[in-house]
Amino acid sequence: MIEIRGLRKKFGHVEAVRDVSFTASDGTVVGLLGPNGAGKTTTLRMLSGLMRPDAGTILVDQADVAADPVGVQARMGLLPESRGLYPRLTPIEHIEYFGRLHGIAGNTLTARAKALVARLDLNESANRPVSGFSQGERTKVALARALVHQPRNVILDEPTNGLDVMSTRSMRQLIRALRSEGCCVLFSSHIMQEVSALCDRIVVIAQGKVTADGTPDEIRKLTGRENLEDAFVALSGMEA
Amino acid sequence: MLSQIWIVWIKELRDGLRDRRSIMSVILVSALSPVLFGGMFTVMAERAKDAEEIKLPVVGVEYAPAFVDWLKHQTGVEIVAPPADPEQAVRDRKQDLVLVIEKDFEKNMARARPASVKLVSDSTRESTRRQVQRARALVTAYSSQMAALRLIARGVAPGVAMPVEIEEVEVSSAQERLAMQLNVLTLLLVIAALTGGMQVAIDTTAGERERGSLEPLLLSPVPRVALAAGKWLAASAFGGASVVFSMLLTVNVLRRVPWEDMGIRFRVSDADLMSLLALVLPLVLFLSAVVIFSSTFARSFKEAQGYIGMLILLPMLPGVISVLYPLSNRPWLAPVPIFGQYALAADVLGGRRPSVVFYVLAGLSVLACAMVLLGLSSRLLKRESIIFGR
Repeated sequence: MIEIRGLRKKFGHVEAVRDVSFTASDGTVVGLLGPNGAGKTTTLRMLSGLMRPDAGTILVDQADVAADPVGVQARMGLLPESRGLYPRLTPIEHIEYFGRLHGIAGNTLTARAKALVARLDLNESANRPVSGFSQGERTKVALARALVHQPRNVILDEPTNGLDVMSTRSMRQLIRALRSEGCCVLFSSHIMQEVSALCDRIVVIAQGKVTADGTPDEIRKLTGRENLEDAFVALSGMEA
Repeated sequence: MLSQIWIVWIKELRDGLRDRRSIMSVILVSALSPVLFGGMFTVMAERAKDAEEIKLPVVGVEYAPAFVDWLKHQTGVEIVAPPADPEQAVRDRKQDLVLVIEKDFEKNMARARPASVKLVSDSTRESTRRQVQRARALVTAYSSQMAALRLIARGVAPGVAMPVEIEEVEVSSAQERLAMQLNVLTLLLVIAALTGGMQVAIDTTAGERERGSLEPLLLSPVPRVALAAGKWLAASAFGGASVVFSMLLTVNVLRRVPWEDMGIRFRVSDADLMSLLALVLPLVLFLSAVVIFSSTFARSFKEAQGYIGMLILLPMLPGVISVLYPLSNRPWLAPVPIFGQYALAADVLGGRRPSVVFYVLAGLSVLACAMVLLGLSSRLLKRESIIFGR
C-alpha cells in the first residue's frame, strides 16, 4: 500500500511536481498516466527515497520514506528509468548480487534466482553475460533483480518502453500475476492502451498535478468522453 | 555492514577480473618497473665496463715505442689499428676517440721538451665521455711518471714539482650512491599502486553512472558507505596485486644485474624489500580512495580519465622534489602521505633502517586519509545531482 500526500518538487525555477496525492492499495494495479514531462518519473524517484521532496509525505505500508528510506526500500521493488546492467555479469549473477544486498543468501537465494529466471522466460540466456542482450532481455533482467526480495509493493517506471509485442505481452502477464498475488503495483506510462488494458485505477498527471483519479469508467464519466483516449487528452490540458 | 561490504567487494572483484582492461593494466604496470630497471642497470654496467676496458686506436705507434709499450701494460688497455683519417672517423662516429702521436715525440722526449700527442674526440657525445677521461688519465699518468723520473735523475725530489696535492674524500657510500638510482624503484611502485587499481576504481564509480546502474544499486537497502567501501577495497586489491607483482619481477631483475662490473656490492636484502612493500602497500589504500572519490564526480569513464590524468602527477611530485631536495634521513615526514613513503624508502634503500614506529605512523596516516575520502565519497552518493545527473 502506497499513500502519497501533497508532494512537491522544484528544480531551480521549474516546478516539476506541484501537487501530487494518490493512494495505491494492495491487490490493485494503479497506472500513473501522463504526457512526457508531466512529473511521473520525478514522483517515482521521490517514492524510491533517492530524491527528497520539497513538501509532502510518502507512506509505504504505513512507513514514512523520509524517516526510514532503507526500511522502505526493503518493502519496495522498483524498476527505475535507468536500467543499467553490468555487462560482464550473467542474469543469475545480477539477481544473486541484488538478493545478497537485500540480505538473502544460500539455498533461498539460489531457488529464487531460478524461479525468477523461469518466470521471466530467461532460461536460455540465464548464464550468459548480459552484454549482448536485446532491450527486452535487459528489461527482464532489471525487473528480476528488482523482484528478488519479493516486495509487496512493485513500482515500474514505463515498463514497456522499447519492448516488442511479445515482451510487452509477457510484461502485462507479469503485472496481472503480481496483482493476483496481492501486491500493490504502481506503474507509469504515457500510453493510453497500456493503462486501460491493465489498471484498476488510473491517476492522470499533467504539469505536475493530479488532474483525475479513479477507475477507467469514472474517468470517462468525469470528462464526458466515451473514448478513454479523448478523456486523457482532455485531462492533460492538451486540447486545442 | 561488514557482510554488505564483503558482498560488494566480491561482486566488483569478479566483475574486474572479467574485464580485460583491468587485467591488462595490472600486467602492464607490473612489467614497467622490471623492464626499466633491467635496462637502466644493464646500461650502467656496460658503461662502467667500457670505461675500464678501453680499445685505443693509436696513430704513429712507431714514433713512441716506449710510451706505447707502457700503455699496453696498463690493465684493460688494448691498442688497435687507427683509422686513415682520425678526425673524420670520430666525426662519423666510427671511432669513440683516437690518440695521435706526433712524429718528433721521441726526439722531444730525449731533449726533455714537451712531447705532444693529440686526443681526437667529440665532447658532444655523452656516451664516450668516460672513455675519453680514461685516455686522458692514461696520458697524464705517463707524463707525471716521466716527470718524476727526470727530477730524480737531476737529484730533485719529485714532491717539489707538486706544490698542491688533492686528496679526494668520498663520504657517500657506494650503497648510498646506488640508493639514489634505486629511489626510482619507489616511484615505480607508487605508480603501480596508483594505476593498477585505477581501471577498477573508475569502472565501479563513473562507469556505474555511465551505464545507468547506479540508481538501481542505490535502491537496495545498503548504507552508501558500505557500497563505497566495497568498491574501494576492490580497487585496492588490484592496486596491491600490481605492487606485489611489480616488486617480485623487479627483485628478479635486480638479482641478475652484474653489480661487480660497476664495482658495487648489491646489498639490498629481502628484508629491505619487504620493508618497501610494508610502506607502499598501505599507500594503495589511500591512492585508490583518491581515485574512487574523484571519479565519483565524473559522469562517464572519459570524464573520469580526464580527472585521473592530472592525479598521475600526484605521486610524481615527491619523486621530482626528492631529486632537487633529497628526502632521505627525514623520517618525521612519515605521516605525510606519499612524501612519507618516499622519505622512509630512501632510508631503507640507503642502508639505514627506520624504526617500526615510523612505518606504523605512515600506515595509520594513509589509512585515516583513506577513511576521510571514503566518507566524502559516500556523501557524494547521496547527492541527487550524482544519482540522477547523467
